[in-house]
Amino acid sequence: MHTLIVEDETSLATELMHFLAQEHYICDWASNGREASEKIAVNRYDFILLDLGLPDYDGLDLLKETKSADHDPAIIILTARGALEDRIKGLGLGADDYLPKPFSLLELQARMQAVLRRKFKIKSSSVAFHGFEMDSSTRRVTFGSQEIVLTKKEFDILHYLLLHKNRILTRLQLTEHIWGNILEDDYDSNYIDVHIKNLRKKLSAHIPTDWLETVRGVGYRLTL
Amino acid sequence: MRLQSKLALFSAVSKVIILLLLVVGLPLLVNKVALLNADERLLQKEEKMYKIIEEQGIESFITEETGDAYGSYNLFREEFISLEEISSGKVVNSIENSLRKVDNEIVNYRVLSSTFDLGGKRYLLEIGRSLATIENNSQTLQTYALYFLAAVVLLTVFTDLAFSKILLRPLTLIVKRLQRIEHPSTFTPKELNTNTTDFLYLNNTINAMMGQIQEAFQKEKEFIGNVSHELLTPVSILQSRLENLLSDPETPDAMLEKLVDNLRTLHRLKSIIQALLLISRIENEQYLRNETLDIPQLTKEVAEEIKERAEAREINLQVEMESEYTLYKANQSLLFTMLFNVVNNAIKYNKPGGTILIKGQSTPEGYELSINDTGVGIAQEQLPHIFNRFKRLHAPDGESHGLGLTIVNTIANFHGIEVAVQSTVGEGTTFNFQFPKGNLPDSMAFSTNWAQSRN
Repeated sequence: MHTLIVEDETSLATELMHFLAQEHYICDWASNGREASEKIAVNRYDFILLDLGLPDYDGLDLLKETKSADHDPAIIILTARGALEDRIKGLGLGADDYLPKPFSLLELQARMQAVLRRKFKIKSSSVAFHGFEMDSSTRRVTFGSQEIVLTKKEFDILHYLLLHKNRILTRLQLTEHIWGNILEDDYDSNYIDVHIKNLRKKLSAHIPTDWLETVRGVGYRLTL
Repeated sequence: MRLQSKLALFSAVSKVIILLLLVVGLPLLVNKVALLNADERLLQKEEKMYKIIEEQGIESFITEETGDAYGSYNLFREEFISLEEISSGKVVNSIENSLRKVDNEIVNYRVLSSTFDLGGKRYLLEIGRSLATIENNSQTLQTYALYFLAAVVLLTVFTDLAFSKILLRPLTLIVKRLQRIEHPSTFTPKELNTNTTDFLYLNNTINAMMGQIQEAFQKEKEFIGNVSHELLTPVSILQSRLENLLSDPETPDAMLEKLVDNLRTLHRLKSIIQALLLISRIENEQYLRNETLDIPQLTKEVAEEIKERAEAREINLQVEMESEYTLYKANQSLLFTMLFNVVNNAIKYNKPGGTILIKGQSTPEGYELSINDTGVGIAQEQLPHIFNRFKRLHAPDGESHGLGLTIVNTIANFHGIEVAVQSTVGEGTTFNFQFPKGNLPDSMAFSTNWAQSRN
């Protein structure tokens, strides 16, 4: 996936590129609007991660410009401007998703995957793991012909772990993923532990779940 | 009291005072005038009498038969004329009140007494007018004068009232315009159709002031946007960097826990910034209130969303929603956050095996939603400060930033919902949300106003 990161903060752009490169994305970086505009004109990107607060350009103008280009990249707006009107404006101008800063890199990747599936109408949404099969479009998990009934949150946790397989996910990352943007005083990691406990119980009825590891003091990891 | 009423009252009171002064002073004045009038007439009569004496001689009055005195009374004893000869040493020239006996009746007269010499003799001429007649005239005069004055007072009070109403109409218009402003940003400066310079001045001053307020709000809005960008960007950089380190296979295991600790601290910082921004944005009216919400339904959604958390803590979550209530002009995500925060607190600070009861019922004031828990409770001395963002309370876990309830209060205020909290330490806490009555959508409010104005 050829991705353009439009971000004026060098450090953030570097971290984004580092992360996405690991995930096998090919990244370009533009630190201002003019540069981004030029790059969009000469390259065909699959993805544009667009920061709205650019020094020389209003990100929304750049978005308009991109939408009128002859190819149609998927666009995710990344911004510290969390105001509702900006969000509505951005989506109205044709952005595919909107992620307010600060965001988790894993959350960004999950959103990018979802956008890709939606935008390019990827039919096959099922993933096989350790004898199980997860279909993210029907939200079903099966073992052979048997369906494993999971609650919404259990499904979301398992899906997130599977999406980021072989990577440690902290309880905080999982909490933010399943509870979204609800403002809490503090987060309580116990809820995640309870969900994981229930998940293990349901899955281990079919096969041992040592592949769903607890990383002490850090979080969980699904190895595949 | 309204200015118009004050002006009318002042006008009425001042006129009544004038009227009372006249009621007290008028009889004296009228009496004085009547007496002066009577004296004038007496003087005229005296003149006339001298003329007759000059023409006809004193003999036509004083003869041998009459002796040395002449007296004449008219039929009603209103006036008399008396002429008598007196000793030559006495000189009289006066007009005064005097009692006279006429036909065994004592009558009060105004008497003109004058002496004159004729044929070596001195005569005393007296012309008298009955005071009863004078008083009678003066009373009639007083009565009519009072009627007239009362009519004048009434008429002027009503004309003053009407005039002040017309005069103060621009002021009423200015007040109405100001009342219609829900937020400074909705104000549009308008010209005032009047030639009273004071009101024009007032209107221009208000327009200028509102312009300044709008500008200040705009600046604050931009400031919030800039601050959010400035603060959230470095947080975003740190978070990405820590997450990258966390997923790096070369990061030693011992480092992982430290990274997670840092991420937790960063998360705390992030949620404080986001909470402050949220509060600031709500207070700055940057959220829309354009949704129509079924509050019992929304409460059930919150309960459904949070159910798993209650179950994880073995807390019994009960929802009893009576009747329907619709909140117009609402923001769903904000109200969801408000209820979520309160129920989440009720779970967090509850005892294992405790209960949470969410109850909704119609009240004469509108709709009441109460969230009651069997938790640790809030100390009485802390209760008055739980919504105050500047008064940091120490949460039992020492982790929370203490802005959760401030957010709850800000969202409630934004929607005109009253919040009350009762709590007993060791027994639990109850949050009461009183939703407003008569909360109508704009279209219905318009038709109601229209119907009222037609009635």
